[in-house]
Amino acid sequence: MSRPVEATGLVKRFGELTAVDGIDLHVDHGEIFAFLGPNGAGKSTTVRMLVTLLQPTEGSARVAGFDVVEHAGEVRQAIGVALQDAAIDPMMTGNELLQLQSVLHGLPRSVIRRRGPELLERVGLTAAADRRVGTYSGGMRRRLDLALSLVHEPSVLFLDEPTTGLDPTSRQSLWEEVRRLNDDGTTVFLTTQYLEEADQLAGRLAIIDGGAIVREGAPGPLKAAVGSPTLRLDVAAEQRDAAHEVLGQFGPDRPCREGRVAIGLDGGSSRMADVVRALDEASIAFAHLELDAPSLDDVFADATGRRLEGALE
Amino acid sequence: MTAITGPAHSAGVIGSLAARGMVRIIRRPSLIIPTIVMPVFFLVAFTGSFSGITNIEGYGTDNVFNWMTPYAVLQGVSFAGVGAAGMTGEDIENGFFDRLLLTPGPKLPLMLGAIGYAMIRALIPTTLVLITALVVGGADLNGGALGVLILYVGALGTAAGFACLGLLAIYRLQSMRALLAIQVPIFALTFLSIGQVPLDFQTGWLRRASELNPITPILEMLRQGFLDGVTWESTWPGLVAIAALITVFGVPAWFQLRRMAP
Amino acid sequence: MTATAAAADQRSRLRSALDQAAALSLRSIRTSFRNPVSFVPGLVFPLMLAAVYSAQFQRALGLPGFPEVDSFLDFILPASILQAVAFGATAAGADMALDMENGFFDRLLTSPVSRPSILSARLAGSAVEAAIKFVIILGIFLLFGASVKSSVPGVLVILVVSVLLAMAIGGVSLVLALRTGSQEAVNASFPLVFSVLFVSSAFFPTELMEGWYQTIAENNPITWIIDPVRRLVIEGWSWSDSLSAIGLTFAFAVATISWATFALRRRLATL
Repeated sequence: MSRPVEATGLVKRFGELTAVDGIDLHVDHGEIFAFLGPNGAGKSTTVRMLVTLLQPTEGSARVAGFDVVEHAGEVRQAIGVALQDAAIDPMMTGNELLQLQSVLHGLPRSVIRRRGPELLERVGLTAAADRRVGTYSGGMRRRLDLALSLVHEPSVLFLDEPTTGLDPTSRQSLWEEVRRLNDDGTTVFLTTQYLEEADQLAGRLAIIDGGAIVREGAPGPLKAAVGSPTLRLDVAAEQRDAAHEVLGQFGPDRPCREGRVAIGLDGGSSRMADVVRALDEASIAFAHLELDAPSLDDVFADATGRRLEGALE
Repeated sequence: MTAITGPAHSAGVIGSLAARGMVRIIRRPSLIIPTIVMPVFFLVAFTGSFSGITNIEGYGTDNVFNWMTPYAVLQGVSFAGVGAAGMTGEDIENGFFDRLLLTPGPKLPLMLGAIGYAMIRALIPTTLVLITALVVGGADLNGGALGVLILYVGALGTAAGFACLGLLAIYRLQSMRALLAIQVPIFALTFLSIGQVPLDFQTGWLRRASELNPITPILEMLRQGFLDGVTWESTWPGLVAIAALITVFGVPAWFQLRRMAP
Repeated sequence: MTATAAAADQRSRLRSALDQAAALSLRSIRTSFRNPVSFVPGLVFPLMLAAVYSAQFQRALGLPGFPEVDSFLDFILPASILQAVAFGATAAGADMALDMENGFFDRLLTSPVSRPSILSARLAGSAVEAAIKFVIILGIFLLFGASVKSSVPGVLVILVVSVLLAMAIGGVSLVLALRTGSQEAVNASFPLVFSVLFVSSAFFPTELMEGWYQTIAENNPITWIIDPVRRLVIEGWSWSDSLSAIGLTFAFAVATISWATFALRRRLATL
């Protein structure tokens, strides 16, 4: 049986702009696969091509065994889609939207009646079912969007930035729901700009930057490959060059935010004492010394030379 | 789960979308106010301002309401048709249209649903204008029940035509601003015809435009019920014109829709 | 503070108030021109309407009771100008409502901009826009054979009336914006303005109307403005016509601008 998602050499150009520049990827049955990258990296464009809303300029993709261009209709029957902006009609109630979605998907009448309340129960929106969706909070809209994408029991679920803009509690409950769906056998393809999300959910992930994949694999091995943990500390501006020199002997520089210095500490935590002694001997004053195990952010930094999220360590 | 597509599915889609449009109006009454108020206002304003005009020979009637009522109905269905396309415009702008595009089966029912909504919507101004004309203006129904039937058939058909124009613009421009862009063509269609004065009164460029305008035969068809009664000669050009409007705007719209979801 | 220093302080405050008003006015004007979608129809529609009506109503000119004109264009010139000006003027309120919706209004309020400047800037924008539209429409009409019997003095009077009317209607739309804060609400007033314009002597002489409709049209202040202006176009110069038209629009403008100032004050008081 073919894989749920397979893409070869996907390219998408909008006039002069190349949004997606040759992407190869695959997702296996029952996996949760994450596409991790900053805004504008090409995540949403790739997803739109995979869910048949956009035609690739070059390359091909097969979803649920069907080519996304030649057999778009069959693809649509097999996938559930919840895109970046919850695709809802604010004037309708949750119940009505689910009903409409069921009719649109050609479900038999007996199923239509049941499916709405079932799904609302599942995403915890039963109480709000008869309220207009326009009155829902951001988190509630995302949950409804998820419910809408599940109406026809798809085998592959595409989630584009499912928790962007949500508060931590909503985020957690959405993660739980995704895990539950995955446990029931749904393959999940999600995109995110939050490394914790990819870390928490994904069995495998690909890091995308500037329209191309820069790293791919399971979170654990990716982080291990970066190797050394990151050592960070605050140093006064006038001593920064001296600090760099001293630290340079302990491992490679790593990017970090203004006012801090960071290196990858070869040899790990056992060398901490040596580092402190070396800084002391050079009379370098420092503060907020931290040693962190490699994170996906480090993987990203290693691959692209930049930090993924706005706030840097 | 495999979807069951086919005529029953398509009918369901069309019905649901048209019904959704009506629910939208009920929940946001402000949407329908222009469609209700403007045509009735036009009727009153045109008959009031231009009441002197039927004194000129050539109108075929003394009562200005007999002349102006179909024109006000036309204005009303243009509002209704274009307003119905507005539902699609909102869907595109808030992303809901993506969901509609991802449904299995043909895409034509999505468009037909909006057109169905337009036609139901058009019932409102047509009826209000007719009632106002009869009650306030003492319009004569010389064509009897048949005249009224022709009025409604023509009105709903023309509404569908205007809806196709609106949908074409919205599918192409992918935003509500498309409706502003088509103001000029709509103005041309409704004003460069025999709405206010008969063809014989017109000269030069205006006459040429009115002769070519499909709205002219449509107005003539609608007006029959108020003037001399219904005849086939005056009816069939109107029906052809309605079919032409729907085809000329609807077919490109459908092609554009299909291009939106390959 | 000494007297001279106080006077200097006054002068500099006045100057900065004027600078602020000028900067904001420029912004209003620039916005309208950058927005051809609303500026162009505001010009095109009155012109198209005039063209269509002139072609249609040639025969109506012969009706008894119709004023003596060479062409319907002369008859409808004031109405076309007023249409263009009126619709552009509602943009003042719509733009302010937009500022209120997207937070720019609050930003203005937290800056040292003087409160009256906010309003005067918008009105100045409407005034300039009206003047420009006046010139364009008059130019096109003249090109197509219309003539203004009262020549240059008459044209100047009509210009003043147009500008004052723009400020008057702008004032009303500003009140609407301040009271509702919603662009949609202000735009909804558009048909109302159109209706008021229609039920007047703008498009057809009130003498040829009948019944209650005629009564309303005759008592519509727009008629009281359009009739003297039209006489300036088709008959020739008249002091009484000029003064009554200018006086009426001036009074209208003063009334609505005061109302707008009051509405602004009320809104600020509730913040």
